Amino acid sequence: MSAELSLFYFFAALAVGSALSMVLNLRNTVASAMSLVITMVSLAAVYVLMEAHLVAVLQIMVYGGAIVVLFVFVVMLLNLRQDDFPPGRQRGAKALGVVLVVFAVIKLLALLPAALPDTVAALPEGFGGYRDVGTALFTRFILPFEATSLLLLSALVGAVVLAKRRLD
Amino acid sequence: MIEAPNLRLEALAPFAFVAIGSLVVLMGEVLLSRSESMRNAPSVDVRIGTILSFLSAGFLLLAVVVAAQAYMSNTAWSFNVDNPMMRLDRYANFAIGVIGTAAILVCALSADYLNGLRIHHGEYYALLLIAVAGMILMVSAVDMLLVFLGLEMMSIPIYVLAGFDRRKLRSNESALKYFIIGAFASGILLYGMALLYGATGATSFDGIRAGFDPDNALAIVGLGLLVVGFAFKIASVPFHQWTPDVYEGAPTSVTAFMAVTVKVAAFMALVRVLTGAFETTIEPLQDILWVMAAATMIVGNVMAVIQENVKRMLAYSSIAHAGYLLIGLVAGTGEAHAAVLFYLFVYVFMTLGAFAVIIVLAHRGKDAERFDDFAGLATQRPALAALMVLFMLSLAGIPGTGGFIGKWSLFGAAVKAGQVPLVIVAVLTSLVSVFYYLRLPVVMYMRDPSDEPRRMTTSSGEGFALLVCAAVVLILGFFPSEGPGVLLLDNLRVLHWARDSVAFLP
Repeated sequence: MSAELSLFYFFAALAVGSALSMVLNLRNTVASAMSLVITMVSLAAVYVLMEAHLVAVLQIMVYGGAIVVLFVFVVMLLNLRQDDFPPGRQRGAKALGVVLVVFAVIKLLALLPAALPDTVAALPEGFGGYRDVGTALFTRFILPFEATSLLLLSALVGAVVLAKRRLD
Repeated sequence: MIEAPNLRLEALAPFAFVAIGSLVVLMGEVLLSRSESMRNAPSVDVRIGTILSFLSAGFLLLAVVVAAQAYMSNTAWSFNVDNPMMRLDRYANFAIGVIGTAAILVCALSADYLNGLRIHHGEYYALLLIAVAGMILMVSAVDMLLVFLGLEMMSIPIYVLAGFDRRKLRSNESALKYFIIGAFASGILLYGMALLYGATGATSFDGIRAGFDPDNALAIVGLGLLVVGFAFKIASVPFHQWTPDVYEGAPTSVTAFMAVTVKVAAFMALVRVLTGAFETTIEPLQDILWVMAAATMIVGNVMAVIQENVKRMLAYSSIAHAGYLLIGLVAGTGEAHAAVLFYLFVYVFMTLGAFAVIIVLAHRGKDAERFDDFAGLATQRPALAALMVLFMLSLAGIPGTGGFIGKWSLFGAAVKAGQVPLVIVAVLTSLVSVFYYLRLPVVMYMRDPSDEPRRMTTSSGEGFALLVCAAVVLILGFFPSEGPGVLLLDNLRVLHWARDSVAFLP
């Protein structure tokens, strides 16, 4: 097993482990958010192993930085405690959910052996670099790239409308 | 050196008109409210509202005209030749025509209603137009990426529109509920698309179709999540619970917009995705759709019976109609898909008409939405009551209305495709629906009016929308053959349009 592959397994395991700790940590939401940071950073490391440096940097900046900071802000602003949540209802639905999740996990685990790589995949020249990403954005994906601006505008207008203080 | 992509801007024409329209409206409101002549005029807001409403309708009309022309000339344009993520073919043009027309009618209905609620106009129309632009992307997409982008561009403005009446708690609740459930649904949809990408290595419909392997669990799970995401949007059981609350709380003009255009856009996109990216004969897909169709018809129709609020009743009715439409998907033949398109065409006008009557009756910012509010309407406003009866009869599928022809062609196509048990469920639940649809006429004609003051006027915009809806519902019901040929619209012609449109599905 090459060094690259063992690094991949290390970061992949870290990503999965911290993702699990994020979901299973029910007591402290901030700790959950921090676990999410570890997941994001491990994913960024996996991107680095794929030589997609631009994507890796964006991953850390956008997800590890901006989005998790937003999560933490919201968590702290709301400052919810366990007692603030209504007592557990719909026990039947919960039991059904657990059964379905266990079923799905068993199914997915069965898929796992075939999915585990034992060699490093070959990547095309320049894959994931700023040049390739930029070219793709402005040629093949020009329409979604430009159309996104309208989507962001609508979100902006919507936020102003709903959050402005004066009720006229 | 990067080579310039090979673009065809014509393919974007309808989208561009609507998108530019949203920007013009957004800026127009600011400029108008600052101009000298406007500032000193009495009732500025009302005037600006009327201007903006006409402006938005104008841009929508441009998009509809372009789409109609492209439809007639039977062209199929891709925007980007190297990576055709969207295709403006007859199917997309049909959808744009229907959605655009419905949005124009909503604009006509909105101006006065918003004044009554004292809602600001500028952002309202801008968001409405952006939502329509998103729908246009969604129905013309042939790539999952663009389907998702269009879906979000449609949904986000509507989350905001649902909460536009900020003084009312119910409107806030409606927006929040729709946002949270909608965002959840988008997440599920996106996860499905990601799994499909993982299984097939493609986001384009053609690529997914080529790489799809029904024995690959990843691909099947992806397909399932995709269907679930869409099921939220079209309000199909068991993903329908948000519908009544959101429809009830949102301002009625927004509810009308949601009930009509979102349903058309989401449904036509779903048909395009399922026929384009998958073989519709995949067994698990058939089973899922079958169960969903049956459950949607039963739950929608039965729950509608016990509603005391007309908007909630119409919400459950829209769920029920999603169930009928799903039958067409289960049947899966070209004829069934054409019948789905025809049904959507009729559904738009009969549902919009019913909501239009509620909007006309809104008095001093208060909606007439309980059944009691309609008591004695026939003596006070006979014409309006008669129109409401027409829309209710059409929704119930009584012969002589467009709704009957729609159900007839849809169920007929399903029987031909061998879906007899589903059609039996559909006919039985339609019988149940007659009960709650006819409740409103009974209240209007058999009960005495209450003492509460009633709005006795109809604005010209509202009158226009009501007349268009009523005319279409009647014409589609009464002219089953080519007839005299003087009318622009008749049954067979719309059915032809629908058939020619679905010919573009693979």
